[in-house]
Amino acid sequence: MLYYARTETLRMLRNRRYLIFVVAFPVLLYLINANIYGEQTDAGGVSYAVILMVSMAAYGGLASSMMSSAVPWATERQSGWLRQLQITPLPGWAIIVTKLATALLLVLPSLLLVSVVAIVQQGVSMPPARWAGLLLAMWLGTIPFIALGLAIGSALSPDAAQPAAMICMFALAIAGGLWFPPEIFGTTMKAVAEVTPSYHYAALGWSVAGGHGLGLADVLVVAAWGVVLGLAAAFLYRRATVRA
Amino acid sequence: MNAITFDHVSKHYGDVLAVDDLSLAIEPGSTVALLGPNGAGKSTSINLLLGLLRPSSGQVTVHGRAPDAAVRDGEMGAMLQHGTLIPELTVKELVDLVRRLYPRPLPLDDILRLADLTELAGRRANKLSGGQSQRVRFALAVAGAPKILLLDEPTAAMDVESRLRFWAAMHDYAAGGRTVLFATHYLEEADAHADRVVVIARGRLAADGTAAEIKAGAGGQIVRFALGSQPAAGLDRLPGVTSVEIADGEVTLHTGDPDATLNGLYRGTTLDVRHVRLSGADLEAAFLALTREPS
Repeated sequence: MLYYARTETLRMLRNRRYLIFVVAFPVLLYLINANIYGEQTDAGGVSYAVILMVSMAAYGGLASSMMSSAVPWATERQSGWLRQLQITPLPGWAIIVTKLATALLLVLPSLLLVSVVAIVQQGVSMPPARWAGLLLAMWLGTIPFIALGLAIGSALSPDAAQPAAMICMFALAIAGGLWFPPEIFGTTMKAVAEVTPSYHYAALGWSVAGGHGLGLADVLVVAAWGVVLGLAAAFLYRRATVRA
Repeated sequence: MNAITFDHVSKHYGDVLAVDDLSLAIEPGSTVALLGPNGAGKSTSINLLLGLLRPSSGQVTVHGRAPDAAVRDGEMGAMLQHGTLIPELTVKELVDLVRRLYPRPLPLDDILRLADLTELAGRRANKLSGGQSQRVRFALAVAGAPKILLLDEPTAAMDVESRLRFWAAMHDYAAGGRTVLFATHYLEEADAHADRVVVIARGRLAADGTAAEIKAGAGGQIVRFALGSQPAAGLDRLPGVTSVEIADGEVTLHTGDPDATLNGLYRGTTLDVRHVRLSGADLEAAFLALTREPS
């Protein structure tokens, strides 16, 4: 199973689409935005270099979670690769658990890269404990999105999963305020943002990076989405692999 | 204990009956062809054997157990129809991935050699030709050293050369006392590569035996010759003969074994046999007779 996870990881790292959209894109966006707005600070005195770092890392985490789960999984189901695995001794649960673990692992490159660029290019500095807390929160916070990706991959054909994953990803990125600061939203958009997992996911990071620790509401909302989407993913996985 | 048994197995898809009361036992170590036209129920039978489908009624067992248990213990390997590979992985990585999922796999180099992939080991799956992909899929099927190997129309995408090499590899693998069941709609493949041929049509067992027995069972071959006014007594007792017709001094013998019949005719009788003609049923004719739609 470890080897399976290793192979899965290797395979995504060779995937150009993954590398461009997930690893390079957030870094690029960060460089552009931080060089324009990085000097400013928000109401709480946190510099935009830090806020944007969290936003772009969150976007990277979100994109990675969805890109490395939905479409590859839908493709494997349809192409017969899943059946190839099903007739080996590998248990069914191990397939989906490995997918989850691999997707989680693949979140790290974009998180780390955005952080490194923030340190090197913008001179962002935080105490080591805060860095650790930030990265851990931003890492584990991607679980709801991975679950969503796997649910899409279990429910839809590859042709449908591709746009569905894209739409979900962009909707979550925009509604969650990852691309534009949530402060500029009108009240309606703000209300929408409040229920998205992506807004609270990023808020976990903003709060930790601002030195305020984890917000309880953010943790609860992200965890609740994680449970709901996780159950949906498990249900749809069972349905997709049922042996009639 | 049998390697594989089907005990009155039926499988419906909605109103369609894909497998209809199929009973079959396959001994360990044999190589069996599952021969039938498209839509006969070959793939369904293989999927039932792998536990990918459940029978609507009846029971499928593998070494006396449910297929799931056999799959879990790594006793089964299969080359299914329409399987694709992970495009970003190399041949070697794919084979190694699957072999590591089994408890007692073959060594990696042996698998690559068996499937004639040693030179392609470093190539990514999306750069392989159709025939090369088939060889990788064969490698994946044998990687875990399964005791039972199932092949669903394995040569479908192969050219003549690849086919020859494929069957040689299959025989190498089967030689270790393993059980092989392959589905095909090519008669020649069944005839040339199986110890036993199971013919299915419309989900039912149509015939079961060696290729020679099946040819014989479907009326076999016809030996005709001119008898003239000589006595016909004893012709029905010639080896292989199943029936005798005589008309206008012309004899028609239906036989399951024309070689033995002719041998008996020349050596076992003193008849003056002239104008011998041999015709009729080869395996193809037998197959068509067995699988013909009822009119």
